[in-house]
Amino acid sequence: MSSCSSIPKEGPESWKPGGDGRRTHPLLPAACWMACFSPPEQKLVDEEKKAMAKPSKTKRSGSTFNFASYHTIDEIYDWMDTLVADHPDLVSKLQIGQSYENRSLYVLKFSTGGSNRSAIWLDTGIHSREWITQATGAWTANKIAEEYGQDPSVTAVLDSMDIFLEIIANPDGFAYTHSSNRMWRKTRSINAGSHCIGVDPNRNWDAGFGGSGSSSNPCSETYRGPYAHSEREVKAIADFILGHGNVKLVISIHSYSQMLLYPYGYKTAPAPDHQELNEVAKKAVSDLAAVYGTKYTYGSIVNSIYLAAGTTIDWTYDHGVKYSFTLELRDTGYYGFLLPSTQIIPTATETWAALLDIMVHVLEHPY
Amino acid sequence: MQGLSAAPPAAFLLLVCLSELLPLPAAAAPDAERELSPSSRLAAGAARVALHYLNFQTASPGKLQALGQVRKATLKTIPDSGHKYYLQFTTEDYKSGENAGSCLATVLYPNTKSPPVVSIKCMQSKDQEQIQEEDNRLYQKLRHQKKPITGNNIPDSHGNIEPALESVWALAVAGSSYIMWEKSRENMGYFMAQVKSVKQWIRKDDFTEFDYTILLHEIPTQDIISCHMRLTWLPGHPLKVKYFCASVNHGLEDGSGMESGSAAGVLHEKGPNF
Repeated sequence: MSSCSSIPKEGPESWKPGGDGRRTHPLLPAACWMACFSPPEQKLVDEEKKAMAKPSKTKRSGSTFNFASYHTIDEIYDWMDTLVADHPDLVSKLQIGQSYENRSLYVLKFSTGGSNRSAIWLDTGIHSREWITQATGAWTANKIAEEYGQDPSVTAVLDSMDIFLEIIANPDGFAYTHSSNRMWRKTRSINAGSHCIGVDPNRNWDAGFGGSGSSSNPCSETYRGPYAHSEREVKAIADFILGHGNVKLVISIHSYSQMLLYPYGYKTAPAPDHQELNEVAKKAVSDLAAVYGTKYTYGSIVNSIYLAAGTTIDWTYDHGVKYSFTLELRDTGYYGFLLPSTQIIPTATETWAALLDIMVHVLEHPY
Repeated sequence: MQGLSAAPPAAFLLLVCLSELLPLPAAAAPDAERELSPSSRLAAGAARVALHYLNFQTASPGKLQALGQVRKATLKTIPDSGHKYYLQFTTEDYKSGENAGSCLATVLYPNTKSPPVVSIKCMQSKDQEQIQEEDNRLYQKLRHQKKPITGNNIPDSHGNIEPALESVWALAVAGSSYIMWEKSRENMGYFMAQVKSVKQWIRKDDFTEFDYTILLHEIPTQDIISCHMRLTWLPGHPLKVKYFCASVNHGLEDGSGMESGSAAGVLHEKGPNF
């Protein structure tokens, strides 16, 4: 990778402080060593396959997955199974439905017991070209599993609440970004009467559905779909959250722009809880910036980006999930969707600070 | 050169410029003018338009600037003319992310839907000599090739840019800034998403010349726009850009991946007549 050539091999002491892998800045030591001096991807996949073929009683077999690299859907799905195998008392895998092309929609459940506890829902990859999000989802899943019993905040959260994490919320789109078009955003559903494919899964929700900020044209990247929840990928999440009945926090993760957003997108009227949501966002963004100096802006969707109808968090908010947020990860347009893999771990690390912040707030403010 | 806050003379100069470019708070009619939150999308959008314009005008691939933070923004509605933004923002070096200084700018979006009218003055951290050296270095690399430079997918799917193609990419950013400035509207913004292909034309004179297919990311439509761009450059001279853009998605099923121009057909000359 080009940016690795600028990193001196002699060790962390010679590197500039505060580096984070962005452009020509050096990475913090651990992240950089992992990103720059790991074996090439293909070799790693082969090694990983070998490691998985052996009966594995050691708890570290999942760690051959290279979090500092972008992966295919099969690689991520395979790794999810190893994560579950490594942490059987904490992590399980659920299937909440199937995609349009009949791919499984998998969700990782992190739970220390109880019965239908208050829950946190996280999703990444709903827009398939936003590759930093699926990569961050995988890293985060691993982080949650590692930190339970180690980090007091994670432990406190999981001792009272469950976490559900859907890493690949749009598997058809994701597969398409690998096979054919790296810039594919939508689902891959066929639109009756049109040669254009796909619906924007973040305009398909039943919240202001059909309003300004979504398109009626199937060829548009913000096509809302023929009706709300027409997309299996969207319906699966909606049905899951409604069926669960006890979800208290939803964070839907996108890229890029570096923003932390709360409802509404479909109207300019402030959400009833906007003051509290704003305060939570302000703190989370500050804690995120404390990691590497990455600056995020925050606010409602409509004030910060644009009018957008039928979004995930507007729906969850209007269905009782007071703490509904969207994160837009790195960067602000320099690499855009093509964020270098050297930035995966720094991005996931700083995002983690914000996620944990929000989760702890929700834990401490039950409703 | 130190950042703004550490250099009193620079701050004084900025204050002088500020009073020239920005309207006095108390004087203007309250309904014709309003202050915007620095984090508002309209303010950020206008600042980016100003930077597209600056990057194209500067014509220095070694001195591209990105938006740092908007410090102050005011919007004025000018009857029979359009919406005019008055902005103060910091900038970063496009490549390194380092603080590059700050700018004062006005951006007028005309009611006639023509390109934005930009005026911009910046105070830079990098000095002119450094910039010229950088440009000359890039120029030498581009000029002295045994074969014409070609490339595809810059950056690639994983965000990598081959070191040998970095200067070609920087030139694409400078050139596409012209396209992005011209196409920008108050509610329509652009980012350069990728260079799909580049091919160098060897010339007998000193100019470097390239044919690009670039992808622009359009906000808020989220469309990916494919543009064919012909660019000529010589350090110290204005950048010459001719382009034609077509949306990849409208009316086209892109199952075969993205072809440059696809059904777009003939390359039309747009922009200044050269």
